[in-house]
Amino acid sequence: MSYPSIYPTGTTVYDPTKCWNGYTIFQAAEEGALLIDMNGAGVNMWKGLHGFPNKLLPGGQVFGHLGVRNPAYGMQDQTDLVQVDWDGNVVWKFDKYEYIEDPGEPPQWMARQHHDFQRTGNPVGYYVPGMEPQTDKGNTLLLCHKTLKNPKISDKTLLDDTIIEVNWDGEIIWEWCCSDHFDSYGFDEGAKNILARDPNYRLAGGGQGDWMHINTMSVLGPNKWYDAGDERFHPDNIIWDARETNIAAIISKKTGKVVWQIGPNYDSSEQLRKLGWIIGMHHAHMIPRGLPGEGNILIFDNGGWAGYGLPNPGAPKGIKNALRDYSRVIELDPTTLKIVWQYTPTEAGYMMPYDANRFYSPFISSAQRLPNGNTLITEGSGGRIIEVTAEHELVWEYISPYWGKQLKLNMVYRAYRAPYEWVPQLAKPKEVPIAKIEVATFRVPGAASLAPVKETTVVGAKPYLLDPGVLCVAATDE
Amino acid sequence: MYTIYSATGCTRCKIVMTKMRELSIDYQEYDMKAEGKEAFQRFYAANRKAIYRGPEGVEFPVLTDGQVIRQGLGPALAWLQAGHELDGFFRIGVLHKEWLDGITVSGGDAGKSDDFLAVLRHLKKNAMRLQVETNGKNTEVLASVIKEGLADRLVMSILGPLSLYSKIAGMLISEDEVKKSIALVAQFPEKQFQTSVVPICRDSGEVSYLTPGEIGEAAALIAEAAGNKQQPYLIRLFRPEGTQDEALKQVESINSGMLLPYRSAARVHQVKTEIEKAD
Repeated sequence: MSYPSIYPTGTTVYDPTKCWNGYTIFQAAEEGALLIDMNGAGVNMWKGLHGFPNKLLPGGQVFGHLGVRNPAYGMQDQTDLVQVDWDGNVVWKFDKYEYIEDPGEPPQWMARQHHDFQRTGNPVGYYVPGMEPQTDKGNTLLLCHKTLKNPKISDKTLLDDTIIEVNWDGEIIWEWCCSDHFDSYGFDEGAKNILARDPNYRLAGGGQGDWMHINTMSVLGPNKWYDAGDERFHPDNIIWDARETNIAAIISKKTGKVVWQIGPNYDSSEQLRKLGWIIGMHHAHMIPRGLPGEGNILIFDNGGWAGYGLPNPGAPKGIKNALRDYSRVIELDPTTLKIVWQYTPTEAGYMMPYDANRFYSPFISSAQRLPNGNTLITEGSGGRIIEVTAEHELVWEYISPYWGKQLKLNMVYRAYRAPYEWVPQLAKPKEVPIAKIEVATFRVPGAASLAPVKETTVVGAKPYLLDPGVLCVAATDE
Repeated sequence: MYTIYSATGCTRCKIVMTKMRELSIDYQEYDMKAEGKEAFQRFYAANRKAIYRGPEGVEFPVLTDGQVIRQGLGPALAWLQAGHELDGFFRIGVLHKEWLDGITVSGGDAGKSDDFLAVLRHLKKNAMRLQVETNGKNTEVLASVIKEGLADRLVMSILGPLSLYSKIAGMLISEDEVKKSIALVAQFPEKQFQTSVVPICRDSGEVSYLTPGEIGEAAALIAEAAGNKQQPYLIRLFRPEGTQDEALKQVESINSGMLLPYRSAARVHQVKTEIEKAD
């Protein structure tokens, strides 16, 4: 698809009367954790604080990391999880998961954390009225890595995903290991075959199979399903999703077993066929009690490339064999798997499938439900953060101007919106509406205006007769 | 005349038969997968209690002189070498193919070390890879095993803190021997330290599991004797079925999740501590 080389960054769309106004925190590529107001002004840049992701806490504190393991030896292993105050002081830290001795590097304890974490008080890691994360006590759940071998999966070394719970003193009090439950994930023989040959082999650390790649993890919290007697949705249970396998699952905190799951295949039942393939997903979580849509599962369905199975022209070996070139945000009822709300290229106003990849992030990304029913969507690969109403109106848009030097991307892994009250250090910022810009007439200095200098009538020319049915490719539902 | 019950293609059985020929011992072989099937079934039915049947079936070879039954490669060779004199050094293991375990330098009489080492030499001559275990007792025997290259992997069970060591072992083990053994094992290329979180009868009469603090002391003991904190150290689950003590069999079992505080306590002194997962 065409992507302009010149385009405005920062806040480009803003209607304060329709937004859920607050601060937005995200990791500015290779800069630090950045907190912006609705007009895009940076109100605090925690310089050098890594974020996988950054999350704001009440009191103007922020979660992040002090460093990452040398990629030659580890993949996406954050050295620690730290809680940092407004002025940059580390007020809490965890790193004692594994003692790492990498060649040429000082031996040290590392958390090997990646992609997500949660603190007692708030199940999902973003603002929920009445569910504030604890900042001076409480336990923390971390999504971490463990390097191991599991002959059931492959003879290759695996980069496995684990979830640990640590108390305020940093003691690990609970641990769950993804590969322990391999038999329960429902891989067919085609998937097992390719997993054994190539469990998503990555070069870091002498080669490791990042076979699942779990990228989100949160607690269900209190919810209507459990209140109605469905034990699968016990409030302590944990939901996660894995981008390589196209699985979203809920595990029992008590037993560690999978109690609810979608994927890895989406053609095995009528419900799943209607849901459609969820490919390379991120941020699957249960909308917490207190927010519109509570109890539903919200997912950023990336599209892109993921899955294990039979080879096809797009995946000659059968790895990453499910492909799609657009994204969707879907909200589904976990008991019926029916989509109750969605934001896809269609709702974004793009013609499907011709212009579908105008809403597309093949990796990273997220979706946060806001208290007024809006949804904050991070379309991460292009650094685009948007807020849309329940009626799909775009009411806020921010394009990250921060391009990395080591990785030439302005990517945003995940952005979160938080209330102004969480930053008592600042007065409430001004909310300045941005008048809608007509793209057709928007010009850079030196460019000519829209209207042609000469308009010539051609005798006999007939009106344009255009319909999606006359384009070279069929519409998705034609 | 000895009788050996074997299985077709059983390499371990062949090693035992080779030894019997070296010792000019007459024997009769019954291959339980071929012509000896019925003979073995009769023997098994008559001696069920003396024959171990594991999750994967009966371990072969099974050797008998008509009075004594010895099962498994190590116990069979030990019996051929020195009869009862080597009791305690060898038991049926769990490893397969070229690996043999169930060899415990601490398990037998150190005065019979010559015969013990002879058995190990025979195993090495037959291309077996040996996992040798110790709990610290019989350090000199361990030193000889290492010196002669008769072990491929060493596993040392650190029974607990020194203050409880002999109590857990059920016999006197000198602290000096434990530390010397740790030092020897720590320098070996392929090794594992381990401690099972076992219940013990306290001085008060109460039966309770080793505490995380006590496991921490065990880890500190390794650090002191090994001279570093980077030894591979595994905290293991107690298996009631493996104990002879009826009182301990009644103790409520623990699971892997309950070992996390033990790991935290141990990691202060041994940074590579991990916990065993239940099967």
